[in-house]
Amino acid sequence: MIKLFGIPFKNPIFIASGVFGFGLDFKEVSNKVGALFTKGITLKPRPGNPPPRIVETAAGLINWVGLENPGVDIFCRDILPKVKKLKCRVFVNVAGFSINDFEKIVEKLADRIDGLEINVSCPNVKEGGVLFGQDPKIAAQVTGAVRKRTRLPVIVKLTPNFCDPLLIGKACIDAGADGLSLINTVFGQAYNAHTGERIISGGLSGPAIKPFALFCVNRVSVLGVPVIGIGGIETVADVREFLSAGASAVAIGSALLRDPYLPIRIIRELKVVSNISKNEKL
Amino acid sequence: MKPKLIRAYITAKKQLNPDTFSLELKTSGLRLQPGHFFEIRTSDTYDPYLNRPISVAGYQRSRLLLIIRKAGRGTTLLHEKNTGDRILMLGPMGKGIIPKKKRTLVIAGGIGIAPLYFLAHNLTVGKIPFSLIYGVRNHGDHILISELKRICSDLILVCERGAKKKVTALDVLKNMDLAKYDIIYACGPKAMFVELQRMKFDQPIYVFCEDFLGCGCGICIGCAIKIKGTYKRICIDGPVFNLKEIDFNV
Repeated sequence: MIKLFGIPFKNPIFIASGVFGFGLDFKEVSNKVGALFTKGITLKPRPGNPPPRIVETAAGLINWVGLENPGVDIFCRDILPKVKKLKCRVFVNVAGFSINDFEKIVEKLADRIDGLEINVSCPNVKEGGVLFGQDPKIAAQVTGAVRKRTRLPVIVKLTPNFCDPLLIGKACIDAGADGLSLINTVFGQAYNAHTGERIISGGLSGPAIKPFALFCVNRVSVLGVPVIGIGGIETVADVREFLSAGASAVAIGSALLRDPYLPIRIIRELKVVSNISKNEKL
Repeated sequence: MKPKLIRAYITAKKQLNPDTFSLELKTSGLRLQPGHFFEIRTSDTYDPYLNRPISVAGYQRSRLLLIIRKAGRGTTLLHEKNTGDRILMLGPMGKGIIPKKKRTLVIAGGIGIAPLYFLAHNLTVGKIPFSLIYGVRNHGDHILISELKRICSDLILVCERGAKKKVTALDVLKNMDLAKYDIIYACGPKAMFVELQRMKFDQPIYVFCEDFLGCGCGICIGCAIKIKGTYKRICIDGPVFNLKEIDFNV
C-alpha cells in the first residue's frame, strides 16, 4: 500500500496510458494494479491513423495510432460505468488540441474518476502545432486551466522531446499539478532500407528508451511531487531502478503488448522481494 | 476464449520446403477453429521485441500444428528450435470460424495455406464438399501435397514460375465455373485480396488477413483495417473478414 496525492493505492505498479485501452479486456489484470491510466480521451471521437500504426524497432516499437478513441461523451456514457467497476484507481488521460478542449473534457468527466493525467504531448493547433508540453508557459496554462476545474489529483504526463522535463515539470507544478508522469514516447522514425520509403514517424517506446526515461525521472525527482516513472519497464529489476531514480510508482506500457498479464507477475514478485528485504532488516 | 499464457513443448518439427517448416506443440484443453492464432515469443531477449502471430494450422488430440515461413529474425529463431524445446505463447487469439454447410471454394496463396489447411481439414470432417486452389511462386514451394490430396478431391496446384507459362491461382479462378460454389474462403498476400476484390464475386468471400501485430489481443489498436468505413482491429475483430467490406485504399 502506498499513498500519493492524499489517496491510497494498493501497490506502486500502474498501467500506462495508451496500450491497455480502458482496462476492460483484461479485467483480472486491471483489478490487481494500483492504478489504470486510460487511453487518451479527446473532446471529439477520433478514428485514428491509417495503417501501418506500429513498427517494431530494436528493443521496442514506434507507434502512430493517432489517439483513436470514442471521445469524452461516449466514454462517459458507455465506458466509464464499466471502468468504475474495476478494483483499481482510475486516472483518465486527457488529450486536447486547445486549452478549451482540456477544460471541456475535464468538466465533462467531473469527479467520477480518481484523477486526471494531462497529456501535453498533443500539438497545440492554435500555436502552429508546437506540443503543449514543449513550452513551459503553455504547459502551465493547460495545467492551470485544468486545476481551476477539478479537485481531483492532476498529474501532467511530460514529453521528453526537444525540451527539458525539469523546466516544464516545474512550470506545471507551479500551476497546480499534483504530480508528474514521464516519459511519454520519444520521437522516432523507421525507413525501408531498400526503397528509402518512410515506414512510420511516431513515438518510440519499450526497453530502448529505459535509460533515457530513468535519467528524466531522476532529473524531475528534485521537484518534490510524486513522480510516476514510465519507459521500458519489463521486470521487477526495472521497477526497482525507477524507484531508485526517484519515482514513487511506475507505469507499465509497451511490455503489455508482449504479455498483458505481466503486471500480475511483477506485483507478485515485488511482494516476495519486499518480504525478503524486510526479513533481512530484522 | 480468452488468451492465456501457455508454455508448450515441441513434439515434432518438419521442414516442408526450403523456407517453410511446421512445429507440433503439445497443449491440451483448447477449442480452436480456423482463424485462431497464437502470439509466440521467439526470443528470451528484446531482439525481436514483439511476439510473432502464427496461425493455427491444425489441432487434434492436444497436438497443435503451426506452419511457419522463415521470413525474418523472429521466425528464423523459431526455426532454430527443436523437438523437446519449450515455447512460450499467448493465445488463442482472433475469432475462429465454423465453416457453413455450403459448396465451398478455398483459395490459398503461398503461406496462406496455413490456416486454410485447418479449414480444409474441418470441411472434410464436416463432410462439406470443397475445391482448393493452391498457388505458390516457385516450383517446389507447395507443402503438404499428399495430406491435401487425401482430404480434398478437387485440388488444383498452381505455380507462378518454373512452368512454361506463368499461371497464378487467380488465372485458374478466372477460367472456372464459379456458379457451382456458394461461398469462398481465401488467404494469401494483400495483392491477391485486392485482385480478388476487383473480380466482384456473386457469392460471399471471406479472407484471412495477416499483418504485423503489436499485441494480438486488441489492446494496442495497432493492426487497423478499414471495414465499411471504420477502423477495426485485425487481431480481435478478425482475422477473417468479408472481403467485400474491406477498404484497402487507406
